Amino acid sequence: MSIDFPGSTSEEGGRTILGNWASGLAPKSTFPGECTLSKQVAAAGSPQGAERKIHSAYDDPGTPEEISRRSFMANATLAIGGIVGLGLVIPIVGSLLPEGASSKGTWSPLTADELKSLQEATSKPVKLEFQLKSKDSYLPEQSNGEYVWGIKTNKQTFDSARTDLPTSGELPFSDGTYDVINMNFVILSPICPHLGCRPVWNDSATRFQCPCHGSQFAFSGEHVAGPAPRGMDPLPLREQSGLAQIMWIRYESGVPNRVIISYQS
Amino acid sequence: MLNWLESRTGFVSMAKEFLTEDVPGGASYWYVFGSATLFAMILQITTGIFLTFFYAPSAATAWESTRAIYLNPWTHTLLSIHYWGSSAMIALVFLHMLQVLIWGAYKSPRELQWIVGVLLFLVTLVLGLTGYLLPWDMDAYFASQVSLNIAGLPPGGEILQLIAQGGPVMGTNTINRFFGLHVWLMPAALVLLVGAHLAIFRHNGSAGPVVDDPRKLKPGRFWPDQMFMDGAASFFVFVVILLLASFAPPFLDQKADPTNAAFQPYPAWYFLFLFGLLNFVPWLFSQIPGLSSQANAPWVEMLAAIVVPTIGLLIVLLLPWLDRSTTRSFASRGKILWSTFLTIVAIIGLSIYAQVGIQAKEAAGPPSQSEDQILSATPPPETTAASGGASDASAAGAKVFAQNCTSCHGTNGQGQPGVAPPLAGNPFVTGDPKAVINVVENGLHGQTVMGQTFGAPMPAWKGTLSKSDLAAVITYIRGSLGSNKASAVKVSDIK
Repeated sequence: MSIDFPGSTSEEGGRTILGNWASGLAPKSTFPGECTLSKQVAAAGSPQGAERKIHSAYDDPGTPEEISRRSFMANATLAIGGIVGLGLVIPIVGSLLPEGASSKGTWSPLTADELKSLQEATSKPVKLEFQLKSKDSYLPEQSNGEYVWGIKTNKQTFDSARTDLPTSGELPFSDGTYDVINMNFVILSPICPHLGCRPVWNDSATRFQCPCHGSQFAFSGEHVAGPAPRGMDPLPLREQSGLAQIMWIRYESGVPNRVIISYQS
Repeated sequence: MLNWLESRTGFVSMAKEFLTEDVPGGASYWYVFGSATLFAMILQITTGIFLTFFYAPSAATAWESTRAIYLNPWTHTLLSIHYWGSSAMIALVFLHMLQVLIWGAYKSPRELQWIVGVLLFLVTLVLGLTGYLLPWDMDAYFASQVSLNIAGLPPGGEILQLIAQGGPVMGTNTINRFFGLHVWLMPAALVLLVGAHLAIFRHNGSAGPVVDDPRKLKPGRFWPDQMFMDGAASFFVFVVILLLASFAPPFLDQKADPTNAAFQPYPAWYFLFLFGLLNFVPWLFSQIPGLSSQANAPWVEMLAAIVVPTIGLLIVLLLPWLDRSTTRSFASRGKILWSTFLTIVAIIGLSIYAQVGIQAKEAAGPPSQSEDQILSATPPPETTAASGGASDASAAGAKVFAQNCTSCHGTNGQGQPGVAPPLAGNPFVTGDPKAVINVVENGLHGQTVMGQTFGAPMPAWKGTLSKSDLAAVITYIRGSLGSNKASAVKVSDIK
């Protein structure tokens, strides 16, 4: 608690800021008490006014007993502040911990039209629009329009292009693992693996180009230029009683590995 | 480290200057009320700031986000501290004012400090009033409806009411405006006024105890002597708030339903005396021969709701000039002290009068409106948070009920005349579980229920709802709606 204070005007040339002051050892000349007292006397209507000097409580260092009592009171006051502060910091920090993400993905059906456009796809990726149900904190469940890219390919072409994907062609997700290629289709997430913008397909360049930082991806979603750390992320596709269904997954951006962070948009 | 800071900012010597203050007559626990109020304010600002991280002010989200605050134990803790902190702050402001009043410390040269203090009291009350609306539950809605309509009573008050409401009736604009008042305008005013209050305090110094010659008082130290007592008192306040927050957390009622005509709004305790005045003045008139015909006249209501409180406020504001005695001695201020005493007796009396009246109305009202039933009829998330009651099955059932049944049977199962029968207090619902399961699974139409016919057919829910949902919702309607306390239904009971 004892810290030298070189800027002091005290005759002693140095004193402590909190320690001695708190316990009442500080020398007389270092306190503005006199001034305060003069004001008070003036306010009380003293005939002598500001000229009259009154003994300030801070002029008298007090008995050793008083000094040790003050030292205790100073420390106790600081301790009380600390305890109350801690009592508030704990619930505040606890409340700020994020809500857990839902750990189970949901399958969203593609409409017959969207499925048809996927089946008729050629050498261009197809933008597939669908309704994604999502639950955002306390808000009621909502259905929002979302889209993914669908490409028509075959295992040989795709595997040779996407060397960043496992050779087994399977990725893990909440229901187990999914085949990246299903029925000769691959569904690609529209989210750029760099920092989460949305690359757009450029017909003349035959590239996905990200408008934010210029990452480029070829037809199969392989990373060919720009800062993205990995290729575009494949999403699960399945056939269920004649309907094509896809699952929306958000992967962590900016890292080379695919880490699932959420099944919400 | 402190030297480094001091040489560049002077903060250390500023803090020292601030803490170095003589206390005439020495430190005393009598002086802790102002500091304890300041502590309550800091507590309210801190918890309030973090509550805004979770609360969303609109008619579509106010109640929903408040419910989410109740459901998370951490945010529920912050809310409970904030709820009791507001009561503590108002009580402490009142005690602080009372002490200044008794000691005559408002006298020259401290008149402006008193006036700033009275303004602080008003700002604190406005903070309480605006905060009361924000959860947007039944009580929030109807209590605010009453206070807004009172604001509209005096000449020119209509404009004030429209501005506060943000439209001809209460709605999402009202929530947004009250939110702005509660978290920005009023706290900013509070902090500025507290700054002025403290600056004036330091200019004039502490008034000290009532003695013949204040110059003879031996001075004591603010730091650490008085600060320690202030800290101890603040800590006591903090512990009391924590205990109340733990053992009597606030209660979230159902979402505001303007059509619930039977709802009996209940003001915050610190407004009970105004509520009592509003009922007492017409009663007083009805007892006076010759004036009894005027008891329910608009001017009597205006007198009770506006004129008397305004006169009271003016008297309090002008007290430094109304008290003509030249000294602060108790002997010379007998009239002021007696008036203070009688005013406090009147405030307590009116509060009790209001409280008794509210309880009598609640007892006489429809049974579904008693305190217990409001608690048990609350949708599941709050029940688990506020009263720790409902089981998991009942909570799931409440969700199924809210999604599928409330559009016809009402949010509390109160039914809709001519459309669908009530489920709360319906002996069929609490009777043979097999019969209830049969109706829910297979539907019902054209039957006379409780002596009445209802137009909407009961759909057959078999196949639409899963067996576990059916069991949950039947358990819920039998055990949690209104005063229903019938047995639960198991999944295995559903065929």
